[in-house]
Amino acid sequence: MKLYITKSAAAAKNAVVLDDMILTKDMPTSAGSKMLDGYMSLFEAEVVTRLRDAGYDICGKANVGEICIDLLGETSYYGACIDNDEIKNASAELVKSGEVEFAINLDVNGAPRRAAALADLVYIKPTYGTVSRFGTIPAVCSGETVGVMAKTADKCKEALSKIAGHDDKDGTSLKDEDCKKVNVKSKDIKKVAVFKTDDISDEVKAKLDEKLELLKVSGVEVIELDTRILEKAQVAWNILMSAEVCNNVSKYDGIKYGYRTKNFSNIDELYTNSRSESFGYLLKSTILFGSETLSDDNYMKVYDKALRVRRVICEFMEKAFKDIDAIISPVCKKMAYTVSDIEKDTYIAYDESKFTAVASITGLPSVVAGGVELIGSAFTDASLLETAKVLAKEGK
Amino acid sequence: MDRETLRRLESLNQLKLTDDEKNKMLDFFGFYDEELKKLDEIDTENVLRMVHVMPLENVLREDVAKKLFTRDELQKSAPESTDGYWQVPRLVE
Repeated sequence: MKLYITKSAAAAKNAVVLDDMILTKDMPTSAGSKMLDGYMSLFEAEVVTRLRDAGYDICGKANVGEICIDLLGETSYYGACIDNDEIKNASAELVKSGEVEFAINLDVNGAPRRAAALADLVYIKPTYGTVSRFGTIPAVCSGETVGVMAKTADKCKEALSKIAGHDDKDGTSLKDEDCKKVNVKSKDIKKVAVFKTDDISDEVKAKLDEKLELLKVSGVEVIELDTRILEKAQVAWNILMSAEVCNNVSKYDGIKYGYRTKNFSNIDELYTNSRSESFGYLLKSTILFGSETLSDDNYMKVYDKALRVRRVICEFMEKAFKDIDAIISPVCKKMAYTVSDIEKDTYIAYDESKFTAVASITGLPSVVAGGVELIGSAFTDASLLETAKVLAKEGK
Repeated sequence: MDRETLRRLESLNQLKLTDDEKNKMLDFFGFYDEELKKLDEIDTENVLRMVHVMPLENVLREDVAKKLFTRDELQKSAPESTDGYWQVPRLVE
């Protein structure tokens, strides 16, 4: 399994691994794409600067799927991480092995959340805008978030306290006083609502029931929530994701940096062949789908509609959080994914975004622990991490 | 979605799919046409679009020019460069 794309030669204390979407000056950043193979940035991400200043060593860059829009990292140009026919996620394997204290991931389409759920780790996708995205390779700017994967909720909390904060260099960064709210427990999670659906495996259903029981035993009231919002969020998210990806990767043309084909006789062939030879199929199809949603014919009825649905979903969640403290849901439909799962369904990441899309499209904080996901209202990150300890049976 | 529309999309996005990829792509568009109908179930007639999920304010600063990188530094990542210029193929036939 190729877990690292680059590994730092220096001995690492307090070792941290970064998704290969996060720019560093001393190591290349590839975004899992042939287009950026060996690309050296002239500056580093704000989150990297903050971690180095806090005494952490960046020990390497973890293998990711091409611009992180896939299921678990299987579309990486450097090859999927496969163990006994099972698709693994590089960051999760490195955290689980204890080789690193934690991983810093860019959650574009839910891959780190799925990875943490499948590897029984803890992951926090903080409230959108509280951790700087400056120096991350952009894919879906309106929803992607820098997050932390670790063995425990306490470690996630420690890392989040070092990286959250306003950054002038990020136009979507919130005010510092808002960013710092993610480190403070603002409420007790006493009542949660569950998304229960029929399209999950028996093992996932059993896992969810087990976690609901744990919450009940610890005094949390559990109610059920209308699940129809899930598929609406999924469709709207897939539209917005594709449209933003289409725009964000349009700059990769083989001229100023990145891969340039040898096979061209004019400028158009240079552009087309450089992109076609270096992008994988999932990315190509996402670009084409995104482009179609933004076309004259479809802009209003597809893209604009998805933006309006985003508001409906945000308002649905806001209303729900007046009565409940958090939402609990599965993260994936299955407990493991094999090579044949991916081969059978090229678009499995589109399908599996059903449970991750709500937090992605609303920017709400989401914590994965014990194989399930907790979604809270904005800035309840620390409260979710406290409840994650119950789900992960930490200290038990 | 038909093959002609797909060809137009490929051209717009400077991409070229193989025949096998084109067939898969057409299947996907067919599938998604059905998926889109799920959004029609939500009435958004009087709903404002939401581009940003968090209330963001414009952050303004003085427009002061700063020299961040030298040309040599920027050209380190260039696929081809000559004498301080990015090298590209002839644009006019």
